[in-house]
Amino acid sequence: MLKHSLLLASALLASLGCGASAQEITVGVTLGATGPGASLGIHYKNAFQLFPKTLGGHPVKYIILEDATDPANAAKNARKLIAEDKVDVIMGSVSVPSTTQVAQIASEAKTPMIALSPVALPPDKLAWIFVVPQPVPLMMSAVVEHMKTTGVKTVGYVGFSDSWGDLVLKALEQHANPAGIKVVTNERYARADTSVTGQVIKVLAANPDAVVVGGSGTGGALPHVGLVERGYKKQIYHNHGTVNREFIKVGAKAVEGAIAPTGPLIVPEELSADNPIKKVASEFIQRYEQTFGAGSRNAFAGYSYDGFLLLNAGVPGAMAKAKPGTPEFRSALRDAIESAKNVVGAHGIYNITAKDHTGLDNRARVLVQVKEGAWRLMK
Amino acid sequence: MSRHVAGLAALGLLVAAPFLLSEFHIALMNYIGLASIVTLGLVLLTGVGGLTSFGQAAFVGIGAYTSAVLTTSYGISPWLTLPAGLALIAVIALFLGSITMRLSGHFLPLGTIAWGIAIYFVFGNLEMLGKYSGIAEIPPLHLFDKPLSDGREVYYPIWLVAVSLLFAVRNLLDSRIGRAIRALKSRGTMAESVGVDTSRLKIIIFLLAALLAGTSGWLYAHFMRYVNPTPFNINSGIDYLFMAVIGGSSHVWGAVVGAGVLTLLKEWLKDILPKLIEHSGNYEIVVFGLLIVLLMHRTRDGLLPFLVRLLPAGEHPKPPAAAESLPERPRPANCERMLDVCQANKRFEALAAVRDLSFELDAGEILGLIGPNGAGKTTMFNLISGVLPADSGEIRFRGERIDRLPAREIARRGVARTFQHANILPGMTVLDNVALGAHLRGSGGVISASLRLDRADEARLLWEARMRIEQVGLAAHMFDLAGNLSLGSQRAVEIARAMCADPVLLLLDEPAAGLRHLEKQKLAALLRDLRGSGISILLVEHDMDFVMGLVDRVVVMNFGEKLSEGVPQQIQRDPMVIEAYLGGVNELVA
Amino acid sequence: MTIDIALWLTQDAITNGAVYALLALALVLVYTVTRVIFVPQGEFISFAALSLATLQAGKVPGTVYLLMAGGALVALIDGVAAIRAAQPRRLIGIVILNIGLPAAVAGAASLAALRPDNLWLQMLVTLAIVTPFGPIIYRLAFQPLAGMSVLVLLIIAVAVHYLLTGLGLVFFGGEGLRSPPLSDFSLHVGVLNITAQSLWVIFSSIVLIFTLWLLFEHTLYGKALRATAINRVGARLVGISAAFAGSLSFTLAALIGAIAGILISPITTIYYDTGFIISLKGFVGAIIGGMVSYPVAAAGALLVGFLESFSSFWWSAFKESIVFTLIIPVLLWRSLTARHVDEEEE
Repeated sequence: MLKHSLLLASALLASLGCGASAQEITVGVTLGATGPGASLGIHYKNAFQLFPKTLGGHPVKYIILEDATDPANAAKNARKLIAEDKVDVIMGSVSVPSTTQVAQIASEAKTPMIALSPVALPPDKLAWIFVVPQPVPLMMSAVVEHMKTTGVKTVGYVGFSDSWGDLVLKALEQHANPAGIKVVTNERYARADTSVTGQVIKVLAANPDAVVVGGSGTGGALPHVGLVERGYKKQIYHNHGTVNREFIKVGAKAVEGAIAPTGPLIVPEELSADNPIKKVASEFIQRYEQTFGAGSRNAFAGYSYDGFLLLNAGVPGAMAKAKPGTPEFRSALRDAIESAKNVVGAHGIYNITAKDHTGLDNRARVLVQVKEGAWRLMK
Repeated sequence: MSRHVAGLAALGLLVAAPFLLSEFHIALMNYIGLASIVTLGLVLLTGVGGLTSFGQAAFVGIGAYTSAVLTTSYGISPWLTLPAGLALIAVIALFLGSITMRLSGHFLPLGTIAWGIAIYFVFGNLEMLGKYSGIAEIPPLHLFDKPLSDGREVYYPIWLVAVSLLFAVRNLLDSRIGRAIRALKSRGTMAESVGVDTSRLKIIIFLLAALLAGTSGWLYAHFMRYVNPTPFNINSGIDYLFMAVIGGSSHVWGAVVGAGVLTLLKEWLKDILPKLIEHSGNYEIVVFGLLIVLLMHRTRDGLLPFLVRLLPAGEHPKPPAAAESLPERPRPANCERMLDVCQANKRFEALAAVRDLSFELDAGEILGLIGPNGAGKTTMFNLISGVLPADSGEIRFRGERIDRLPAREIARRGVARTFQHANILPGMTVLDNVALGAHLRGSGGVISASLRLDRADEARLLWEARMRIEQVGLAAHMFDLAGNLSLGSQRAVEIARAMCADPVLLLLDEPAAGLRHLEKQKLAALLRDLRGSGISILLVEHDMDFVMGLVDRVVVMNFGEKLSEGVPQQIQRDPMVIEAYLGGVNELVA
Repeated sequence: MTIDIALWLTQDAITNGAVYALLALALVLVYTVTRVIFVPQGEFISFAALSLATLQAGKVPGTVYLLMAGGALVALIDGVAAIRAAQPRRLIGIVILNIGLPAAVAGAASLAALRPDNLWLQMLVTLAIVTPFGPIIYRLAFQPLAGMSVLVLLIIAVAVHYLLTGLGLVFFGGEGLRSPPLSDFSLHVGVLNITAQSLWVIFSSIVLIFTLWLLFEHTLYGKALRATAINRVGARLVGISAAFAGSLSFTLAALIGAIAGILISPITTIYYDTGFIISLKGFVGAIIGGMVSYPVAAAGALLVGFLESFSSFWWSAFKESIVFTLIIPVLLWRSLTARHVDEEEE
């Protein structure tokens, strides 16, 4: 009996790893390019191929692990990156639960983290965590403002039955309620559902002045197409998770006119010349589309890139204080990022403070609309 | 290295691991420990009990969420939330079990998938459970005010629980209840015939598996300190089943092997694939699926049996020692009416298998039930032993009507039987097979068996089994697997098992089939001895020589009806009987 | 709820139910012949739908290369076996079937990719790409383990499901795809707007169900095929080897899956991992049919469609909870009334 444990333990012993070489900065990344978040995760991961070999002028090594959009896996990866690879900073992940799980482990290990999706932790627990994406309420505020200008009084909601669906609804309600706009339906569906007829009919029965879809990527198209097919003529809004080329391909004519908030990097060509984001976004989009094909631009790769830019800004300060691979360096890096000012990213301009670990403002949001089969900036 | 030494060495390594392994590998071991506990439940439920469940992850979730809510929202100590979580799981498992455990065959796995999915969406939609984003900031376990937050610190609690539970389940399976559980998968009818309440036992093992899963969930919540619905979805349920089958689902230690191999395999792929394929990521699941297929092709029964074969067996076990004899049922008075079958009928669609059959059997009598093939003899047996319900008519045992009673209740009244096709557990030793017969004469329950408090009771049962084995002449085969015996010896195992039940009426279905001449003589002598000790016997047999030399009276059946009845000499001369046996004339006169 | 809404939901239920019915059919078919609970059945749907959409985008889908690789592997295994058995003449057939055929399909696929307007050609090519995966999967994963317990076969099926889903992600990416319908024609009946595509789905379902029912319940050959699951020796006596019967059932299952995939790809967005949940619902339908009866399985699938459609209207967040919870009493009823088959295994 128990003989298996013997084999098992010896296998473990044999596979003990070793740490990173000195002076090199090690960035641990956990992303889900498979599993339910694959459509987002692939883009997040792609961006890492474009990063330079240095960070703030110092050599860097990225260790990218796959977490299959499963928080338990993400946790395993985080523990591994921290304990085994002694990373100086962690980046990840794709879904809110995975990122939250990683954030908690990073905080405990006093390792700074660049969160690439929103985190479900209260602000006072984010000391070591810096969140790159625009807060969902910031994005939904743009949608609600647009609704106000067009006189919308009631809005229907159809969203994913996951944490993203929860998050978009919460942000919508947060801004709509004070503006006197009533959210009249809360319908949910799964990305892989083959039919959303029931949900669509429920929304139609409520006959709201506008509809907000809380999906992401092509997943946002199904209810939109369903609503249009059944004769819904009013405005349909999406969120920043939806803005990509595939959405339009799948939705075809039906999604013409769809409005969504997003970061400026989706439409760098249309930004005014004096917008500092224009240059960063244009360059990044150009390189991204060179590697991954014309029209492959998306917000998610931009989050990875902005994460890189934040680190890039923080590293020189930290290098001055300590050597990579030490707790002192990690702490110094955290402090340096926390004092990062005017870091121009592809999504916006980051001004991080002790209270605000995202540091984005209204410049990080634009409204785009599908016109003639492409996302166009709304002026 | 013998199996025992290997086991001890592994246990030693397990204790020493935190001093040898890096922090991450300790974390991995923690994951393995957590998964082992859930998988252990599946070994019990699916591997041994034969009830496939895809829904165990849901119970892990209930355990984890209960503790998460109680500790974060109400500030209750994690040590108190364990019993609370287990109580909740017990209620839910009893409810789900009472429904799904009735499902047979492929209805069962689907039923478990159904509630596995349903519970996942309930987790994701309840405000109280933090919806899909879950509950963060769960406090760690505390030991004397010291938080166990570090991977190294939770290692011992996790593995202490895992190893204790492993031993508990191993103990359980090596007991009176354990033998009954092992019979559930393939020998339900036989188990009922020795008095096992199989439907109750199924719910018990379902409950145990759910509680194991819940315990793991509780540990999970305080180790990960964050819960959300994803780790408790149907895919995780599938993963646990994978672990059980790959480790070797009929062995307790297979749970650890399966959990270990699967966890390490996934980690290893994560390390190795990016080195082989650039920008991999997407290939991990592909290679994982491929390796599982290959693994199952190579090992079939799982890894543990495969590994065990590489190690030499330990020393031969000793026969059970003498113990206090089990109390015996008082023998009936001479000439008491033991069995009274009156106008029994049984139809299978168009076929009348038993038609208006009546006969009696008195104490101390051996009655032969004979007839050509398909005459309905075995059906009659099944009516008496409660395997099948009679359509009409009455069957009385010692004056009490038994034709509406389930098989196990009839067994409880002192009726034991053997089956036409030896109904033994081929993978169990002869000793265990025979001891199963004494199920109703022991009292050890699940808890006492798990804690080894049942040893005195168990010793009496095994001693009884040993005596019966010696009585039927199988002493040399006591520790052989019953499936490896000759057909004749397997029949002897069945008779020994029936005798173990301390019956006053013994129903033997073709006990002499496949026996050689000498063996038949021995069997006849044994049956005469039993008659001498006050046991009545009803015998279905084809071998006329054997029957006529042994029985006191004969009932002849043909086409479900009674053709004739009387003492052997009378029957052998009955022209109607000879007519019915047309081809068997020679047999009759022989 | 108004009558109009009820009608709309009913229409939706019937269309979805028809797809689930197709899956239920395939699952029943595979199970009755091989005892495999074929979890990856749904992957045929996503493979077909996504291959078709890729062809329409003017590209050759990755499934073509997978087909060639799978064929080559089968050729290798069978070829080695043929040489070991000293029957080199069998090699010709093996090579033609496992290497020649996939190569021909690959040729057709590259041709179809160049003709974005020829939807019929693309659909045919898609069928030709996906259907051979049935026998290939059977040959590589299941045939060597034909005698094992249902549980082991189920585990293999799940592993194959992981494998195919992973490959689907590699071939088609994480985003969903949708193809244009065969025609934009639609029929207005009262408040209902019935598209030609949904009629196609329902019509094909009925035809396939009827055909299989005729084949398996009313021809000697079909009955013999079913018998192989229960009695291998008996089936061999009437001239059907278990391996052939298994291969045939997997081929039919793949064909049915491919048809279903082609039919629904214009109705909804299909992802690389859509197959699992669809096949699960088809599976529920199949189980309601007791895994043996085609018409009852189809009725069960329809029931799932109705449960889903109406619960997604009433309480969409709990849709799956409702569908799968309501299934349990049905299962219980089926389990208690189904003719008791002694499932005791050795």
